[in-house]
Amino acid sequence: MIGAKGRRGSGTMSVVDRVTSTSERPPRPVILKGIAGSHGLAIGPSIIVGALSHSFVRRTVKPREVDIELGRFADAVSRAQEGIRQVVEKVKSGHAKAETSILEAYVQMLGDELVAEGVERNIRINRQNAEWAVSNTIQELCDRFEDMEDPYLVERRHDVAFVGERLIRALSGTDKVAALPKLARPSVVLAHDLSPADTAALVKEPVVAIITEVGTRTSHTSIMARALEIPAVVGVADALGRIGPGDIVIVDGFRGEVTVAPTPDMIAEAEARARKHIALVRHLREDRDKQTATADGVAVHLRANIEFPAEAPLAVDHGAEGIGLYRTEFLYVDRAAPPDEDEQYEVYRAVVETMHPRPATLRTFDIGGDKFVSTFQVPPEMNPALGLRAVRLALSRPDVFLAQLRAMVRASAHGELRIMIPMIASLREFEEVRRLLGVALREVAARGQKHAPTIPLGVMIEVPGAAVMADLFAREADFLSLGTNDLVQYALAIDRTSRSLAYLASPFDPAILRLIVTSVTAAQRYDRPISVCGAMASDPLAAVLLVGLGVRELSMEAAAIPEIKEALHRVSLVEAEAVAAEALRQESAEDVERALAAAFAPRLFDLLADAAGETTT
Amino acid sequence: MTNDVAVGHFEIVNNLGLHARAATKLVQLASTFGCEIEIAREGQKANAKSVMGVLLLCGAKGTVVDVVARGPSSEEAVRAIGHLIASKFGESA
Repeated sequence: MIGAKGRRGSGTMSVVDRVTSTSERPPRPVILKGIAGSHGLAIGPSIIVGALSHSFVRRTVKPREVDIELGRFADAVSRAQEGIRQVVEKVKSGHAKAETSILEAYVQMLGDELVAEGVERNIRINRQNAEWAVSNTIQELCDRFEDMEDPYLVERRHDVAFVGERLIRALSGTDKVAALPKLARPSVVLAHDLSPADTAALVKEPVVAIITEVGTRTSHTSIMARALEIPAVVGVADALGRIGPGDIVIVDGFRGEVTVAPTPDMIAEAEARARKHIALVRHLREDRDKQTATADGVAVHLRANIEFPAEAPLAVDHGAEGIGLYRTEFLYVDRAAPPDEDEQYEVYRAVVETMHPRPATLRTFDIGGDKFVSTFQVPPEMNPALGLRAVRLALSRPDVFLAQLRAMVRASAHGELRIMIPMIASLREFEEVRRLLGVALREVAARGQKHAPTIPLGVMIEVPGAAVMADLFAREADFLSLGTNDLVQYALAIDRTSRSLAYLASPFDPAILRLIVTSVTAAQRYDRPISVCGAMASDPLAAVLLVGLGVRELSMEAAAIPEIKEALHRVSLVEAEAVAAEALRQESAEDVERALAAAFAPRLFDLLADAAGETTT
Repeated sequence: MTNDVAVGHFEIVNNLGLHARAATKLVQLASTFGCEIEIAREGQKANAKSVMGVLLLCGAKGTVVDVVARGPSSEEAVRAIGHLIASKFGESA
């Protein structure tokens, strides 16, 4: 993904592009670790965005200048509002259907009387110039929000600060269109954080990659970058301190790495990988609508894991045969109260309609009580991974759970909806969920609302106990889905967030393979579909192994689908089964990986390069 | 026009309370009226045309707010705001 995408137009983002001849002696390359926010690889000079807020002049104005400063402030407000409105229009017309309500709130906040009164007071009475007056007023407002008790309101201080930054940019004229032609060459945007408006405005810039100091794989920046197909590495600590404007950087959105001041060899290697990736993506896209099958023609169904409704069209675009895992808990986080039934219904309906006639598998919320600050009053737990979470939390609050089930039942009227329960450990839990689903169906029907005649109900096999008892679940449930990430964590007793133990947490561990075999055998006995929806499914070698073990459905991040499709296409089922049998005879994860690599790595090496560093959870 | 004063008491019934989206809608609606509109909770007051002011009121679900409008079309303003609050700010279809 080197180079621009021919974007044009004007943005509201101000940009510092100090193109410098970096230094006298060649600097040593430095590799900064971050989080892979969006796949891809790009090389380019950095441009620092949003670093302007501290660089205005503080000046005491003369009495006759007061009106001038007030006029400048008024102009800045309308210009900043206009800038945000343009972004709202852009986002609304885009395919991503992103949320614009926060942007509309910014428009209101820019013209807020609390801001205007404070600024006017600072200009008239304290004789501050407009920038200074804005800065002080915003700081006071931020402090007021920071003092609130409600954690949701405390977080709003970031919105207030953003509004202040917009005003100061407008005052200093750095929001103008004229700042943009400097982005004549493809550049890597570097920022502490990018607001929704900033990220949306990137659409118009020749941006080849994004680096931010904060953020996670699911933060707004990562999602927008994935939607725009721009590589992004987020959560790079002190990136602004270690990357200067104009520095050449390699942004590796597969490994979550940024290389500053790379050597010519490193650049050549990165360019080769980037070219290969582009060629591969193009080739794979052409095969998008072909059915996935092994070299000897055995069909395998590849589906997508999604977290946000906006990802559903991307899944279709990448050739997904449905959604294998929709993590609905993302509707619940970062907000004061859970979404109500109607809001959930609209969201689920959008996903189901987008995927129709392909199936959409909605997983009921999989989250610990600590995340629902104001809904569940749950005391902190010593070990949340083993605590009140997922289906356990749902069954402890049937009111909240039923609202979600009713929303799903209503959405089932619009396509092929399936419901999946996370972290099932006992058959009793499954029976209770099935009973509640029956209640939800009757309640929806009683209101005269539509729903599908039957809704398949499946279970996630991720607690080792459930894998051991898979025959019972296969008998009762409509489908099974192996969540290998948690299965590894629980079966091998390794905290999946532990970095020091990460090397031990391998899905190739023979113990995990045996649990998979137990589950697959049980599913086959009762003729139930079984899929794998953990990170394992998106690793080409692991995918081949899984097919050899009898799995015919894999669900993964949409971007990985074309590569897995290609990997399976190059291997016959006979070979995969032979290697799977050999893998089951091994004594350690390393031995399993060695056996797999010996059999398939030469054929899959071009796909494996990209899979390295894949850390999907 | 006389300085009509209209008053209303409304309970916040949407789950999220007066969060950013709801506050924005309330301010957008209030701004369409020429009259002064004040919204108050437990002695704390805010201009209904200020998003930050409305947010800082911290109106969670279940709180009762007083809406006072002074000036032209004050009654219509209070009625419209009451309707918006009762309709859960359009969060429910």
